[in-house]
Amino acid sequence: MKGIRYGWILLIAVAFFTATICYPSISISADTIKIGVVGPRTGSAAATGTAFAEGIDLALDYINGKGGLLGKKVEVVFEDTGGVPEKGVAAVEKLVNRDKVPLVVGTSHSSVGIAISEQANRYKTPFIIAESWADEITSKNYKYIFRAGPCNTGVVSEIIKWLKAEGFKKASLVAENTDWGLGIKKLTVEALKEANIEFQTIDTERNSKDHYTELSKIMKYDPEIILAFVYGFGVHYFIAQANEVGLTPKAIIFEGAGPPSLWPQFWENVGDAGNLECFISSMHKSAQPNQVAKDYWDNYVKKFGKEPSDYKSRSIYRVLLIAFDAIEKANSLDGDKLVDALEKSNVTVPSGQVNFGTEKGSVWYHQFQPPMLIIQWQDRQQTVIFPENVATGKLIRE
Amino acid sequence: MNSLFFMYLTNGIVMGIIFALSALGVSLIVGIMNVINFAHGELYIFAGYISYILSVKLGISFYFAIPIAILTIFIIGILIEESLIKPTYGNDMYSLIITFILSIVLQNFALLVFGPFPNKPPNWISGATNMFGLFRYGNQRLVSCLAAIGIIIIVFLLIKKTWFGKTIRAVSQDRETASLMGIDTSKVNMLSFGLGCAIAGAAGVVLAPIFPVTPLAGVEISLIAFIILVIGGMGSLWGCIIGGLIIGIVQSFGAAYISSGYKDIFGFIILILVLFIRPSGLFGRKAL
Repeated sequence: MKGIRYGWILLIAVAFFTATICYPSISISADTIKIGVVGPRTGSAAATGTAFAEGIDLALDYINGKGGLLGKKVEVVFEDTGGVPEKGVAAVEKLVNRDKVPLVVGTSHSSVGIAISEQANRYKTPFIIAESWADEITSKNYKYIFRAGPCNTGVVSEIIKWLKAEGFKKASLVAENTDWGLGIKKLTVEALKEANIEFQTIDTERNSKDHYTELSKIMKYDPEIILAFVYGFGVHYFIAQANEVGLTPKAIIFEGAGPPSLWPQFWENVGDAGNLECFISSMHKSAQPNQVAKDYWDNYVKKFGKEPSDYKSRSIYRVLLIAFDAIEKANSLDGDKLVDALEKSNVTVPSGQVNFGTEKGSVWYHQFQPPMLIIQWQDRQQTVIFPENVATGKLIRE
Repeated sequence: MNSLFFMYLTNGIVMGIIFALSALGVSLIVGIMNVINFAHGELYIFAGYISYILSVKLGISFYFAIPIAILTIFIIGILIEESLIKPTYGNDMYSLIITFILSIVLQNFALLVFGPFPNKPPNWISGATNMFGLFRYGNQRLVSCLAAIGIIIIVFLLIKKTWFGKTIRAVSQDRETASLMGIDTSKVNMLSFGLGCAIAGAAGVVLAPIFPVTPLAGVEISLIAFIILVIGGMGSLWGCIIGGLIIGIVQSFGAAYISSGYKDIFGFIILILVLFIRPSGLFGRKAL
């Protein structure tokens, strides 16, 4: 039994070590204004948590460099959702009840965003969503829920405009079986029908690594373009395997989530199969709409010694700037006053000037849609191909 | 019968062999030591990470990277057995809990050291092969499948044809009698655990070029391994092979003809059916 005890002690020590290193606690003092951030720091989309952490660092440098808010230093309490709704709910529970944050921002999974928005609204705590795209989040028209990030309706609208502009006639639509995947699939199906584009639909398991079965069905259909709504690393496997079975480069893959095509290991994982792949993004070096965007880019390079790639670092930066502005204008941490300030927001963020919709009855209530870009990898370089006014090149097909 | 059918069948068999290799190490450890190693999947990913570091970061040829990775995992396995598993002998629950905690610790360690992104060693071979003029199939998958078959054969030969295999089987059948015959059962346990871990490592290095490793990739590997273990019968090596093939083929055809959106559920359906019909598994020994 002595051995067992030593074994346990050893394990607990190692667990404690890894836990403290992986999830550093953020010291909180009374002289600070705390803002809650939720996002996936673990799980299959942990890369988003890394991007969020970078954006938080830059936002804190910015606001504390200006002297903070209401005469106090700003601190962020960043809680992990693991990309799982129940963990997201637990994170908000802690942020609101223990950390007493006046508002919460963040999250990236639609299922998590949906769960958290119910809870935040119940607690009357303003919640500004960065990257949960499901329409359901804002179409419920909750008073305390805002989204300063893409919604499925807005994204699909851009994609269809692009498909029409390029004259695509036949598409395969592959969607992961999640709130986001199935939601965006439904909207895309309706839009493809309206646009008279022939299509097939295929569902795929969210964490699937082997896509040969789905790809075989697509091969048989012989589309010009494959709209892949798969988030996480699964899309890397999808792209690599599509090339193995001979589907690409004859057909173009359009990746509808964005960041996975920008993650550092993208090229290692997909190899040359990544060439000519298209993806959606809200950020590109050549498309900087204002000085705030340029400052963000320069500060990122200065701080991290590399250019930003995952646009979700800018997404969290965006919602934090909006939160700072709301607190400043409300001159209070009261939930209702913050909602009022958010509804009147006209702050400039890297994606443009924020104006939340205030008319109830649609997905656009409390919604700010950042402009989206369609980018193609051409010889491992990003080329903006849509919309035309910011395009740096044209779509290349085989 | 069309080309799609043969494509689904081929992919099912290839995935099945890959699954079988992934489960073989767990089965060996259960069969000999009656220890369920929940950290099996994490040892798999660490082998993948080691081969990634050696081949990508240090530029070592995969011919050397692979044996180094497997040997490292073998040594780690022995260290785990000596420090964490050995003290738990006589109480299966302790070893189960301790390996479960170990798996969580290793996941977080991988996240800390390697980050959340997938890491992929380079392909051993590029391109794809036109299979009988019916469909194209990735060369790396075919080579990995052949490597998996090779490793499975080596493990079988080791267990069935060598002196070491005989001692392992003897301990597995009757530990006390084996001990009375002069076999050092502690050493057999240590080496068996190391061997089981090394097989997990071998699966990791063979599969990492196809399915890059992430800190949580081991969870799925462990899950499939345990499903195969139960379907095939606890500790049965042949059960592992048959169980792996069943899961691979059923998943492939299920995804093709029912829904690819719920691929993982087919394995569980087979598991439930087997538990209903033959609770000890297809090749498992019935309880006395």
